Formats: sequence, C-alpha cells, structure tokens
Amino acid sequence: MITATLDTYLLLSVALFAIGLLGVLIRRNTLIIFMCLELMLVASTLALVAFSRFNGTMDGNVFVFFILTVAAAEVAVGLAIIVALFRKRMTIQVDELNTLKN
Amino acid sequence: MTSAQLAFSVLLLPLASAAIIGLLLRRAGGLASAISVLTALGIAGGAALLVFGGHRFEVAQEWLRLGDFAISMGVKFDDLAALMLSIVAVVGLCVHVFSLGYMHDDGARARYFGGLSIFMFSMLGIVFADNLFMMFVFWELVGFSSWLLINHYLHRREAADAAKKAFIVNRVGDFGFLIGIIWCHAQFGTTNLSELARLVSGGAVVASAIPLLLFCGAVGKSAQLPLHVWLPDAMEGPTPVSALIHAATMVAAGIYMLCRINVLMVADALTVIMWVGTATALYAALCAVIQSDIKKVLAYSTLSQLGYMVAAFGLGSLTVSHGPAGAAPTMVVAAGVGAAMFHLTTHAFFKALMFLGSGSVIHACHHEQDIFKMGGLAKKLPVTFLTFTVGVLAIIGTPLLSGFFSKDAILYLAYANNSMVFGILALTAVLTAFYMLRLWILVFRGTPRSENADHAHEGGITLTAPLVVLAVLSVIGGYGWFFTTVARGAFDGVYRLVPVAHGADHTVILGVSIAVLLVGAVAAFLVYRPAPADALATKAPVVFGGIRALWASFDRAYGYYVAKVQQRFAMLLNFIEQIFLSGVVIRGVAGVVGLFGLGARALHVGNLNAYSYWFLLGVVALWAFATGVLTF
Repeated sequence: MITATLDTYLLLSVALFAIGLLGVLIRRNTLIIFMCLELMLVASTLALVAFSRFNGTMDGNVFVFFILTVAAAEVAVGLAIIVALFRKRMTIQVDELNTLKN
Repeated sequence: MTSAQLAFSVLLLPLASAAIIGLLLRRAGGLASAISVLTALGIAGGAALLVFGGHRFEVAQEWLRLGDFAISMGVKFDDLAALMLSIVAVVGLCVHVFSLGYMHDDGARARYFGGLSIFMFSMLGIVFADNLFMMFVFWELVGFSSWLLINHYLHRREAADAAKKAFIVNRVGDFGFLIGIIWCHAQFGTTNLSELARLVSGGAVVASAIPLLLFCGAVGKSAQLPLHVWLPDAMEGPTPVSALIHAATMVAAGIYMLCRINVLMVADALTVIMWVGTATALYAALCAVIQSDIKKVLAYSTLSQLGYMVAAFGLGSLTVSHGPAGAAPTMVVAAGVGAAMFHLTTHAFFKALMFLGSGSVIHACHHEQDIFKMGGLAKKLPVTFLTFTVGVLAIIGTPLLSGFFSKDAILYLAYANNSMVFGILALTAVLTAFYMLRLWILVFRGTPRSENADHAHEGGITLTAPLVVLAVLSVIGGYGWFFTTVARGAFDGVYRLVPVAHGADHTVILGVSIAVLLVGAVAAFLVYRPAPADALATKAPVVFGGIRALWASFDRAYGYYVAKVQQRFAMLLNFIEQIFLSGVVIRGVAGVVGLFGLGARALHVGNLNAYSYWFLLGVVALWAFATGVLTF
C-alpha cells in the first residue's frame, strides 16, 4: 500500500490548481470558469490542510475555515451575478460579453 | 473717537454703502440712491470734523508682508490732504444730490449709485494714503470705478469703447507709475511719504528717473499729453459722473499725487513736467474751440486747466537756476504746489458747476448734446443759466471770481520763471475765454434751434441746489478771507504756499490777465452768433481745418499705431505661438501622450480571457521580482 506523504498531497494540490487555472484561461462558459476558480481555491485549501497535518499545528486548518467562509459567500454572490447576467443578456459566454469594449 | 478711527470710518463708510448696494439692493434703485446720498452726507460730515477739528496726524498699519517686504496701509492727514478731502466731500455731495434728479428715470440706478459709492471710497483712499503702494492700490480702484461709471450706458457701443479706452490708456501711465514706485522702494527702502521727505532732506540723492516715472501715473490719470485721448471719450458716461470723476476729483488726483511726492522732484523732471503741462494746456484749448458737443467742450477745457496745474507744479523748480542763490529748493517746489493746488480747488468748484450745468441743460433738452441745436436756454433755464454764467466767468478769469486768483497765481509763477511758458499760458487764457464764451453764446443766447431746446424747462430742486452751492463756491473760493474765515485756516499749510505777486509784477500780471480775458471775449463775441453752424468753420475754414487736423492727429496716430504696428506685431507673435507653442509644445506633448494611449488601448481587447492572461502575466512578473529572477 502506498503511504501518502506530504509531497503526494502537494502534487495533488498543484495538479488541481493547474487544472483550475487552465480552465479559467481557456474555457468560454462563465459557469465553467467559476467552477474552475473554485477548484483553485480548493487546491490551496488541500495544501493548507496537508501542511497542518504534517506539521502537527492548527495554523493551516484555521486558514481553511476562513477560506471556506469566504468561498461560500463568493459562490452565493458569483452565482447570483451569473443568473442575473443570463437573465439580462441570454448568454453567459464570455466572448459575447464584451460591451465595455465595443 | 480718535483721529485715526474717524479717518478710517470716513474711508470705509462708502465701501460699506457700495457693498450693501452691490450685494442686496441691485433692484431697489430708490433705496440704493438714498443710501448712497446719505453716505456722501456722512462723508461730508466726517470730513468737516476731520478738517476743522484740528486733526492732523499720521498712522500706519502693516497690511501685507512678503518676506522682508511689507506694504502698510495708513493715513497721512496734513493740510494738503485736508484740502483735497474737502474738495472730494463737497463736490461729491453736490454730485450725489444732482444725480438724484438726473438719474431718476434710469433703469440701472442702483448700479450707478453703487459705482458712485465705490468711487468715493477709492478717491478717499488716494487722499488719505501715506505711502505710494497704498496710493497705487486706490489709484487702480479709481480707475476701476471710472471704468464702471463711463460704462453706465453699457448697451451703447460708444460707451463701452470709451470705458475700455480709458482703462487701457490709464494702464500705460500706471505701468510707469508702478515702475517708479518700485524704483523708489529699491532706492530708499520705503515709500512712506514722510520718511521719503526725511530721507531727501537728509541729503539722499534722487535719480531723476523716479519723479519722471511717477509723473507717468499723473500723465495717465490727469490726462496729460500724450495720454489725454481717453478723457474726451469718457464723456460717454452720465454727466454727473463727468463732473465728479472727469473734472473735479479723479483727474485732479494726478496733480494731488505730484504735490504729495514733491520732495522727490529734481530740476530736470520738473522741466519735463512743466513743458508737458504747458503743451497740454495749449493743445486742449485749441481742440475745445472746434467741438460741437457741450460735454466735449468742457472735457477739453478740463484737459487745458489740468495742463495749467501741471505746468504750475513744474514751474516751481526753475527758480533754482534763475532765482536768488541760496533759496531752498523745497521751498521753491512748494510755490508750484501752492499754485497747482489752489487752481485745483477753484477749478474743482467751477468745472463741477459747469458740468452739472451742462447736465441740467442736457436733461432739459432730452439728452441733446449738440450745442448748435440748443440756443435760447437763458430764459428757459434761468437758474442753470445764471450759475453756468458764474462758472464761465470764473474759468475765464474774470476779476473778483475764484478763477481769477488761482489763474493769476499760475501766470505769476510763469512770469517769474519762464517767459515762454508765460506766453503760451497767456495765449491759452485767451483761447479759454474764446471757447467758453462761444459755448455760452451758442447754448444760452438767441432762440431755440431745435424742438428739444424749445421744450426745455428747469429740473427740480435736486438739480438746481447743487448748482447754486457750487456757484457760490466758485465766486468766493479764491479769496484769502475764504481760507482764513470760512475755512478757519484749516488749509493754511497749502494756502501759505500760493505765490502772490507784489509791486510791479502785480500790475503786469493784472494787466495781462485782464487783457487776455478781453481779447478772448471780444473775439468770441465778434465771431460767434447763436447760429446752427460753426461760424469759425465758415469765416476761417483754414484755421478751423488746421485745428481739426491737429485735434484728430493723436487719435489717428494711435489708431495707426494700434492697427498697423501693434496689430502686425501681435500677428507675428500669434504666428510664433501657433507654430511653437501650439504646434511643437502643446501638440507635440499631446501627440506623445496620445501615442502611449494608443498602445495602452490595444491591450484592452474587451475579452475576459485576455484579461486573465494579463493577470497571469502580472502574477508571473511579480513572482519574478519577488524571487529576484528579474531585476532592473
């Protein structure tokens, strides 16, 4: 059985973060971009929990609570914005949401 | 109340009146005029207390400090200031009362009376000023109020142009004045009049440029050659304003200023001043002969008399070279001061009288100002006729009237010092008698030559009462007993300086004075009849045309200068400005900035994905800086 070391957790965290970032960069659907953002947040949370676990302190865990709180609020606001956007414009594709420029 | 408090309340009273009228009573003409006239009354009362209450004092208070340089506001109240204060107060009160009647139907009465109040404030500031900087501040303020009041009929283009002309021409003189003040400060470290007097009597040498530059201010304000062109045009203002500002007080401020700085005078400067005054006296008298507008005749007459005063002031010095050795120069200049201020006083009375008289005539004739369309007004306007006649007799120097004494003092000074100036001034006196009687004949004699003149009738008490007061002053204002008994010796400091001829000189001056009067009067009665055309133009067209060309020459020269020289220079400057300033500097800088903007704008594509790439780039850059991978 493979023992999970700190590196394993950090690798997983980096992978999740990279996937999230890549999603933000290349996807066109606002909802997907939003999910990818959440993925990046979760990746950092995972890293913090791992640090906390392997260092035997509670610092990381405390951080995670804060991040979870902020993320919950952010999701509520973000989803509300996306819903409002869709009602107004009938689309959530970012390349069609360029009124500020044109 | 101390003397200083009294003086400052007299000074600030009209300012308060102007502020109240300007801020609260713009639409309440009746109330505004009442406040303004009450203010004039208050000034007269305060002035009487100051002048006759034996207050002679000096106070100063620092007003503005810039490093080592300080400007103070103060009051120097000596006999000279007392005399000027009395003139301003008396003539000002007469004009305020006259304005009540004259401006009664004017739509902008509040603005007019507010302007009068602010003028009184500015003029009193000049009278009280104890240093040249303070005088300059109020000097500009009278210029402003003069502009305001000339411009009263602002919908008339001529009035607007005349106001601008007066302001701009005065700028030229005031520029010299300011340079003179600065130079004076640079040389003596002070501009306080009493300290200057102490320094000069202590042996400090005055550069002759200083009095000449200061004289520039008087040339502008007192409308001497060659900056006289604004005064005839200023007649576009309401007639009471012409009486107060452009005859009795503001234009006399130049003479007053000269008398204030007489300690700074040097012989060279006085010679220049004398000749400028003499030339102005003669030139303006010639111009007055051909005018057809009643106010223009009086305006040129004012110029001529101001020339007399300036010449009198300048004549003071020349005895230094001609007179007995050992005579103190300041005493000699003082003779000029005495003669100039004496004539200023009597002139203020009779010229204000004649201007108000012409105002009464114009009011009666429904704003007809052409003397060839008047005539026969003696019967229609008896009070105006009588008082105006007194004014005419006073200005032409009829014996026993005030003008006789003051003019004789000047003629004596000229006789004693410079025979050529004496000749010119005597000739001017002939012309004065000639053009004043011409005016008198055309306006009052014969029969009415227009419907307006036919329907003329005397105005109310507010119009006639000031005329009577000024007529009385024009009669008695020249006598020694007037100064000793009526004025109770309050002006002795000035009156003692008036030169008096004795013995053979007295006979000569008296003879010349009466001779020039008779020559001018007889010539006027021979040439002019009450007729609708200028008799001189028909009888001696060459003379008339010659004077006309001379009269027009200054305006033509200035017109040529402004249109052909200054305008071209301005066009050249404009060209340079367009190329270098607008083109290279302004457009260039704007272009460079715009180019940056163009580049920066290209980054904003409006696509959220693109922005997230920029964000990523930023994070990478930040990381690079933070870890030291990327350094500058």
